[in-house]
Amino acid sequence: MTRKAFMIDTSRCTACRSCQVACKQWNKLPADAEVNRGSYENPAQLTPHLYNKIEFVEKGDGQDFQWLFFNKRCLHCGEAGCIKVCPSAGALYRTAEGLVGFDQEKCISCNYCVNGCPFDVPRYDANNKVTKCHGCFDRVAAGLQPACVKACPTASLKFGDRDKLIAEAKAGGKRIYGEQALGGLNAMYAMDGTPQDYNLAENPSIPQSIFLWKDVIKPLGILGFWGSVGAAMLHYVTVGPKQLEDDIDDQGGE
Amino acid sequence: MSNYIKRFSAFDRVVHWVLAVAFFVLVFSGLGLFAHTFFNYFDFFGGPEQGILAHKIAGIVFLITSVLLFFAHARETCRFDSDDGKWIGACGGYLKRGGKEIPQGKFNAGQKLFALFSIVAAVVLGLTGFVIWDPTAMDRGLTQFSLMLHGLFFVLFMMGAVVHIYLATIGNPGTADGMLWGYVRKVWAKKHASKWYKEVAGKDV
Repeated sequence: MTRKAFMIDTSRCTACRSCQVACKQWNKLPADAEVNRGSYENPAQLTPHLYNKIEFVEKGDGQDFQWLFFNKRCLHCGEAGCIKVCPSAGALYRTAEGLVGFDQEKCISCNYCVNGCPFDVPRYDANNKVTKCHGCFDRVAAGLQPACVKACPTASLKFGDRDKLIAEAKAGGKRIYGEQALGGLNAMYAMDGTPQDYNLAENPSIPQSIFLWKDVIKPLGILGFWGSVGAAMLHYVTVGPKQLEDDIDDQGGE
Repeated sequence: MSNYIKRFSAFDRVVHWVLAVAFFVLVFSGLGLFAHTFFNYFDFFGGPEQGILAHKIAGIVFLITSVLLFFAHARETCRFDSDDGKWIGACGGYLKRGGKEIPQGKFNAGQKLFALFSIVAAVVLGLTGFVIWDPTAMDRGLTQFSLMLHGLFFVLFMMGAVVHIYLATIGNPGTADGMLWGYVRKVWAKKHASKWYKEVAGKDV
């Protein structure tokens, strides 16, 4: 299976939010009640019922006012912090196309993924189970486009073979966000500006302590436990216990 | 005349065994979070969410009993002398059969080191446990670092516990009596803790 990905061309986004609506339709997600915060951005954050949203970056004022729009969602990291920290195998998993799916039946409500994600994406729903963009793995597996991509009228959202999308964006003179980071994101941004312009981390990363735990302490710990048990048994049958001499309880100074 | 001498008070014994039970609850409820291999251990508790709850309750019990046990014996465990140096140099005489025992107080140097390690580990596990109680509550780097440290001290404590259990049971016959019902054989005390025996019996060995 060739690796699939989203390419999000920020310059093409008009903030129509067809992607938000299409996602809610396909995934049968209810609307969130919102308040007026003095911005067209709505809602302000990803929610358990909102797997993708248009982020509004508002810069300057008066004549110099500038709006930058882009689609915020799970970026389906090639090396995903959420999968790495999840204690329940399969609650967060990688699909054949390289997307990061989730299975609420296997979610144990530990919240580790919320913390393991470098992009603050996973949310917990009313049942305390993980939700996030799953890349419409069900549609993709059936050869369809994800709902958001299907609905996007300006082709700001594209989905397809990762290598082809990267080549296309480069040919268009775009800067690509996420080609290499975190094992290569499977949702990348094709940008005109810099990551800072979009309030994105320049070098997104997973804390090294996750790898130290899962790749070093875990295997060495299991080895250490059985090593200790083995050493104790070996000691018993070689050197042996410090036996007491039974008959001298009342000797020597009693 | 009795062959036995009192070693641990009822308070010491109860605290120790509550701690031990909390420890095993913590091990079996925490292993499922430590590695995928052990995920099915959650079944003992009726599921992962119940297991995590049990882990949190047992964690509080473990921390409290660890502090109580440490302070109950701190006067003896925090004091080292030249005999302790010799004991450590000879690895407690555990490397060869039938060596002469180095005179020790109520606790030998190894037991004292284990007591100090235990309280450090209990405090580190308690503090990191507090940070990861709700993994979304605190700074991301701190939380991930705490998860790592929690796993590291779990592993170290687990290895310490294996050695502790071996040496306190079949490795040194007669030792477990003191923690089970409070008394040890006098012959045990003369062999393993001769300075303490002199002190409490008021006699030369």
